[in-house]
Amino acid sequence: MATTELRNSRFRASFTDPEQLLRAVAYLRAAGHRVLDTYTPFPVHGMDEALDQRPSRLPRACLAFAALGLALAAGLQIWTSAVDYPLIMGGKPLLAIPAFIPVAFELTVLLAGLGVVASFFLVARMRPRWRVPDLHPGANDDRFILAAELATDVQFPAVARDLADLGALESSLLVEDRFQRGGSFWDRPAGVGALLLACLPAFLILLLVPVLNRDFQRRNLAWDGGMGAPLSAQAFDASGVLPGGKVLQAPPPDTLSRRGEPPLAYGPGKAEADRAGRELPNPYQPTQARFNRGKLVFERVCATCHGREGDNNGSVIVARGAFAPTVLVSPVVRDMPDGRLFHIATFGGPTKMKGYGDLLSREDRWNVVLYIRELQKAARPGPTASTPASTGAQP
Amino acid sequence: MAHDADVLTAGGIPAAEAERYGHNLPLIDGNKTYRQVTEEVFAPTERRPPLRWWLALAITLSMLSLGAWAVVQTLTRGIGTWGLNRTVGWAFDITNFVFWVGIGHAGTLISAILFLFRQRWRTSINRAAEAMTLFAVMCAGTFPIIHMGRPWLAFWATPYPNTRGSLWVNFKSPLLWDVVAISTYFIISLTFWYIGLIPDLATQRDRAKTKLKRAILSVFSLGWNGSNRTWSRYEMVYMLLAGLSTPLVVSVHTIVSMDFATSVIPGWHATIFPPYFVVGAVFSGFAMVLTLMIIARSVMGLQEYITTRHLEAMTKVVLATGMIVGMAYATEFFTAWYSGNPYERYVFLNRALGPYQWAYWTMVGCNVLSPQFFWFKRVRTTPWMIFVLTIFVNIGMWFERFVIIVTSLHRDYLPSSWAMYRPTFIEVAILIGSFGLFFTLFLVFTRVLPMIAASEVKGVLKHGDH
Repeated sequence: MATTELRNSRFRASFTDPEQLLRAVAYLRAAGHRVLDTYTPFPVHGMDEALDQRPSRLPRACLAFAALGLALAAGLQIWTSAVDYPLIMGGKPLLAIPAFIPVAFELTVLLAGLGVVASFFLVARMRPRWRVPDLHPGANDDRFILAAELATDVQFPAVARDLADLGALESSLLVEDRFQRGGSFWDRPAGVGALLLACLPAFLILLLVPVLNRDFQRRNLAWDGGMGAPLSAQAFDASGVLPGGKVLQAPPPDTLSRRGEPPLAYGPGKAEADRAGRELPNPYQPTQARFNRGKLVFERVCATCHGREGDNNGSVIVARGAFAPTVLVSPVVRDMPDGRLFHIATFGGPTKMKGYGDLLSREDRWNVVLYIRELQKAARPGPTASTPASTGAQP
Repeated sequence: MAHDADVLTAGGIPAAEAERYGHNLPLIDGNKTYRQVTEEVFAPTERRPPLRWWLALAITLSMLSLGAWAVVQTLTRGIGTWGLNRTVGWAFDITNFVFWVGIGHAGTLISAILFLFRQRWRTSINRAAEAMTLFAVMCAGTFPIIHMGRPWLAFWATPYPNTRGSLWVNFKSPLLWDVVAISTYFIISLTFWYIGLIPDLATQRDRAKTKLKRAILSVFSLGWNGSNRTWSRYEMVYMLLAGLSTPLVVSVHTIVSMDFATSVIPGWHATIFPPYFVVGAVFSGFAMVLTLMIIARSVMGLQEYITTRHLEAMTKVVLATGMIVGMAYATEFFTAWYSGNPYERYVFLNRALGPYQWAYWTMVGCNVLSPQFFWFKRVRTTPWMIFVLTIFVNIGMWFERFVIIVTSLHRDYLPSSWAMYRPTFIEVAILIGSFGLFFTLFLVFTRVLPMIAASEVKGVLKHGDH
């Protein structure tokens, strides 16, 4: 019988004006009745206070989701740009915090907005339904309705008379218990905590993935990498990507190098050229290795103008009609001492040729001189002309 | 003569002054009851559309079909169907993109910023303005996707785990910021609009005559019953969304402007761009809201809800933002001169006096001169005059984007690369198609959903009574 009593103690009254509803709620509460809720076509301001309703805690959910959005956006951008795919673009640092702000802001707003709406639907128990009974007719139109529970020892007709005096259009006892009660998971403080707890695995995964896989001591994760300091790989920096663990790599085979040479005791000019011709012998003996190296350098550097055989045949500048360089297999060059040829290779010739001292190592220039001598032997008419360069190059 | 001033309104303003500025005037005319508001707001959704609505729909659908044909041409034959060349690689489509994004801004401004500022007159227009935002952002979004050439690969712009080894999008690129900003803006605007719709969907559900309509509206109204607990949370969520949308709307056009401002093209590389673009967006958006509302209120008989006072308030926003935009034009010229940079100076002289000067002066005439008529109260309160002027503003703001994009690109550092751009028929057809899409969606909206937020209007019905 207790349940029937409970059901029969609930009643409803409807009004046409929000002010009347507010007065009726105040009256019922003062008289000891419990007002369960009101149903109105628009929010009636002052009703929360009249019903003594706690302000919503949804802003906390909003903040929690905003924090989640910010963390996800920061984690995603830092991890992809600086850890998983560290590609230098436009000389910007890999960890370019200012450039990450727009996306971080957008994702913060996105998650905060969607999160607070989802939380609202959850606490207000709003979900798609195929059928919604019209429990309080007119509440979405022009009626202002309250639902309340009678105080014990009070009879409904007396209350109904008072409500009519307050302007109630109609009031009636409710047969069924069909009011939604407040107090869901969100209305307890533990609710917000539970939500944060639920988000914790995501945070942990986000933190763990890079920690487990990557080395945070690497340069691309330095927090002081400002936008003003473009990131560039320095020659002697350590590198986690390149073979050998250094940025500077061994040059590929057949690279022409001129490192580690003592200063040359000759300068440019005609007088110095003559002095070199007088004083400077070729310090190297012709060998097969030197022949091969000299041939490589000659064909890669000198042959463009002088021709592969040193006879201007195939010379690009001759073919283009610019001018004809000195023919290397000519008697004039054949009669030049080694030191003179070395000086021309280093500082340039008397007419148009430029110096290659800054491009070729000293040894390579001597190798070229050796190779030119072989070319001259090969081009010389007579018995030695038939001698192959390779046999002539043997010691 | 001072006896009028003795009577003070609640705000401490002399009654005569308040009367003059409309402080204590009701926001809705016609002394309506709550029931009347319900009946009148939902009436268009419950009766058969009139013939002229069908005629309008036929026109907009034709425009949409033309646009769809042009998009198919673009996709099957390639971007070569457009008038772009190596010098001018961005032109008509990006102009349309920025134009439509800008149009969208007024909706969020009305629904979020005016809400936070307690401008209660917004209640009559916010629903339609927010719908306009959504439709405009949909139009805007199509352009960059079409411009990709292979729109079926548009998902490449999102950071998703893939099997191509370590491969991620470039989060330092403004173009990616744009993707994220526009998507977020669309999703949050849609959410905000939907949250605002729920109470009205419940009203519509309660009034539904057929079972199917009732079932559909029951699904979308999520069991809303007008409970005070729900209203209280609802208002909190609405305020939070307004608070989130306000910086969002500013960020969106800021990021759109960074597509240009972070480059080194003279005429684009300017720090004034973010505020300049945001104000321009508000300016064009309000003009578009006015254009639409003036048609809608007369066609649908909503003059008592969207009153001339609403129109007047919006024209004041148009006037203010129009002058800020005018000042931005002047500032750009000053900065170009003051920079001493010959390329920068040339670009601006070329804008005003070069081959595209007709576009530049159309822009100045429409955006700077035409809003000046709004200084006159008679113009501000005469709908047809507002309509004409806002059409000019819409045209001017389209040309503003065209001028910024095309004149900056067509002559920059290398005179040997200088070129001219002219749109092809395909490009014009896509623009027409985007207008077709926009108005088709708007026409359908006015017949399917309540165009006015009935629950909000009921809340301000008694405004000015006390």
